[in-house]
Amino acid sequence: MAKPGVHPATAYLFVAPCALVFAVFTVWPMLFNGWLAFQDYFIASRNTAWNDFANFLVLADSQAFQIALRNSMLLLLTVPLIQGGALGLALLVHRPLPGITFFRATYYLPVVITVSIAGIVWQYVFHHEGILNWLLGLVGLMEPGEGVPWLERGGWSLVAVMAFCFWKYVGYYMVLYLVGLASVPRELQEAAMLDGAGTWARFRHVTWPLLAPVAVLCTLLSTIGALKTFQEVLVLTGGEGDTMTPLLFVYRTAFSGFNFGVAGAASLMFTLVCLLVAALQMRLMGRHNPFTRSE
Amino acid sequence: MRASRWPLIGTRYLGMSVFALFTVFPFLWALSVGLSADPSGIWHFPGAFIPTDPGLGWFNRVFAEMPFFTYVGNSLILSALTVAGVLALTIPCGYALAQMEFPGRRLLFGAILLTLTLPSEVAILPNFVTISRLGLVDSYVGAVLPNLASAFGVFLMKQSFEQLPAEVIDAARVDGAGEWRVLWRVAVPLNLPAVGTLAIFTLVTAWNDYLWPAVVFYTRTKLPISVGVFNDLTGPFAVSTSLVMAAVVMAVVPVIIGFAFTQRLFLAPQALPARA
Repeated sequence: MAKPGVHPATAYLFVAPCALVFAVFTVWPMLFNGWLAFQDYFIASRNTAWNDFANFLVLADSQAFQIALRNSMLLLLTVPLIQGGALGLALLVHRPLPGITFFRATYYLPVVITVSIAGIVWQYVFHHEGILNWLLGLVGLMEPGEGVPWLERGGWSLVAVMAFCFWKYVGYYMVLYLVGLASVPRELQEAAMLDGAGTWARFRHVTWPLLAPVAVLCTLLSTIGALKTFQEVLVLTGGEGDTMTPLLFVYRTAFSGFNFGVAGAASLMFTLVCLLVAALQMRLMGRHNPFTRSE
Repeated sequence: MRASRWPLIGTRYLGMSVFALFTVFPFLWALSVGLSADPSGIWHFPGAFIPTDPGLGWFNRVFAEMPFFTYVGNSLILSALTVAGVLALTIPCGYALAQMEFPGRRLLFGAILLTLTLPSEVAILPNFVTISRLGLVDSYVGAVLPNLASAFGVFLMKQSFEQLPAEVIDAARVDGAGEWRVLWRVAVPLNLPAVGTLAIFTLVTAWNDYLWPAVVFYTRTKLPISVGVFNDLTGPFAVSTSLVMAAVVMAVVPVIIGFAFTQRLFLAPQALPARA
């Protein structure tokens, strides 16, 4: 696509400002983390000393880091929940009924609301006298007045984080499924209907094959999203109640513990995990990625 | 056939309404609490969803006790700087990647694509070190700079500039216009939908950015809404739930209004917007 005939020097002038900022604030941090991972960093003097794998040994011994790893596996449970919910919602609202835009927009709203502000409201939803415990009492799952203090108790607080993530992100994936559903030709649906296919048969044999690439993309995005859970925890629990996650661990180690070396080691490991997932994504999606297609 | 469809459609609307309630109930409660002059009933459901003794008292107290408009102003400054900066950097870069040939082109684009999937959060510590060495801690420039080379922006601009008809670009070149003029006088006007999409997505991301401003600023009067309101509500204001909820409602209203006008871009995206 690119045209010859323009001098490369011109092209370099066009890309230089962006490439410079990109190099300093996106590429350099990765290299810096990789370097920090093997250093003792003395904040006051800004001196550093190579320490082989000492930082990784600290990680291996750190209980907080182990909890973080365990939690990030547990948070993967949100992936099927969010995907199922998003697909269900998309099927619910993809027909152009009157007022449908209002409903779609409402479901998307949590995505565009600032995570910190949403986190505050949900702190109060999870309050031991809050809406959630009232609802649970209402449907008989809980004796009145025996409310769980969701954000303070180990085990439950991670469930609360999961519920918050579901609420915040289900609308995002709904939109992606809607885009996918819009690509299913109406004639195919109608032909199947004429052939006497029921609702389930039509979904299984007409819609789903065309929607599967979108589902794969969404699942991978949502997997990376679940692994990256961080700000949601920061604003809900601040990491209390055993809700530590890998990125929160990096953040706390750097800005509360001032142990830059260990933070760098954790960053490096986490980046490698994300690279692995991304490579898997490229492998599975190849050129079929419905959102990065170039005509 | 027709008559039998009505219950089905009714069920659909019921389902949609239930889920809509799930989406908005925290804010309905917040609104009701903020409007209730008498806070004694705010934990008594379902009555708490209807304001008791409605009034704007709590909202007035938020205005009196929190520099709310300072936060709004800071959010506006930061968002405007980010949008302007992202457009200024990614438009020429995306255009060059799409319409010019130069050594290193594939490498640059590949590197940018790769970072789309990497966790940008791990860059916070290195970027904080860089920004403090540059003496930009606690400044608007320092808050904005690391976000400008948007990988999503470069990607979107490259893809959209590739769609432009080659004849138009070539005709302008033959007419003797320099590349810089071709870009801003011919290519960008033809590509306004994509540029607009990028501007809106960048605006939302910048407005909602919480973590980096929280790290880089320490002066309260420089904070954007996302950080300032959060700090106040989890700190000095936390004693009064009514005050917290009034402030929450005020912080959410600008987003809802902005979203109402631009929802088309989000609900039928031509490109994948960032998740948060």
